[in-house]
Amino acid sequence: MATDRRASWLKGVLDLLVLATLTEGENYGYEIAKMLAGSGLGQIRGGTLYPVLNRLEEAGLVSAEFRVTERGPGRRYYRLTEQGRQTLAEQGSLWLAFDQSVRTVLASGGLK
Amino acid sequence: MSAYLDELKALLREGGVPAEQAEATVADLASYVAETGSTPEEEFGPVGDFAGRLLAARAPEAGPAGASEWRWTADIFADRQTLARFGDQGWEIDRIDHLGRFVGHRDPERPQRWEYRRELVAPGGGRALAARLAPEGWEPCGTWLCYRYFKRPRAASVGPAAQLDSPPPAPARSVFFSRRFYLLTAVIPLALVVPGIVLTPSHGDTAGFFTGMAVGACTAIATLAALWFWTARRRG
Repeated sequence: MATDRRASWLKGVLDLLVLATLTEGENYGYEIAKMLAGSGLGQIRGGTLYPVLNRLEEAGLVSAEFRVTERGPGRRYYRLTEQGRQTLAEQGSLWLAFDQSVRTVLASGGLK
Repeated sequence: MSAYLDELKALLREGGVPAEQAEATVADLASYVAETGSTPEEEFGPVGDFAGRLLAARAPEAGPAGASEWRWTADIFADRQTLARFGDQGWEIDRIDHLGRFVGHRDPERPQRWEYRRELVAPGGGRALAARLAPEGWEPCGTWLCYRYFKRPRAASVGPAAQLDSPPPAPARSVFFSRRFYLLTAVIPLALVVPGIVLTPSHGDTAGFFTGMAVGACTAIATLAALWFWTARRRG
């Protein structure tokens, strides 16, 4: 039940979280997943992450460039576009407002 | 590269992803898997589902579909007949989407006739079949469960006559189910429930009811198998 609830929360905000991991510069799939896991969000499987990256790329919110590496078959590096930065600012503010409302209601119910 | 990633690349190509992009995607995913230390199945889930999610992300429902794009569906009793009809009207199938619909388009300038074939394939066994049919001009255009569909321009067999001068407008319908399909959807629930009721003793024994349902399920499966065999024989 708790896992389902977390998965549902994550589903609603994962695209914003991915955009947020790119504000400091380009990054690739595995590192993005590691950053999210390191923030306490739990392990994000590639089967969840990559469709989100594809959607963001398709929507023009990130750009991607494939580079061959010395070791291994190569990686696709993702970079935040200007449109992505604007979307993150707008949608991120809405999420924070939503989060604040949830906190207010939960606090009124005695949760601290 | 693993069989999983090879299959994924083939599915992405069938879904209309350009070769270079499919290659780069699969290489990137191979790196990802190598870094996680897990297997592609663990990381991405069943290959068909994952390919469907990647393709859906690439071409969302409300996306900028071309004006001539058309999505439609048919059951396995009507699919080949319907493909033949619309292929003759210039519709080229590009892929099968994650909902099992045929996604096709028609060249607005120079529409050409297309022909199709459907083959039964074992999981992961589609590539050998595609290689065998390629010399005859057949190209994979989608997979649904155990069926792989192939397309070929009619120009390969009839030359310039394959070009259409005045194709009919795009059909208004997008669902083409056969009478046999509707009959089956009506008969199967009856085949399950009626034996359950008949075999239930008058005092309402639950075990009797479920035994009846099991008998009904076996009957339904046997009927389907017989129907399938009969259909295959008729099609030669």
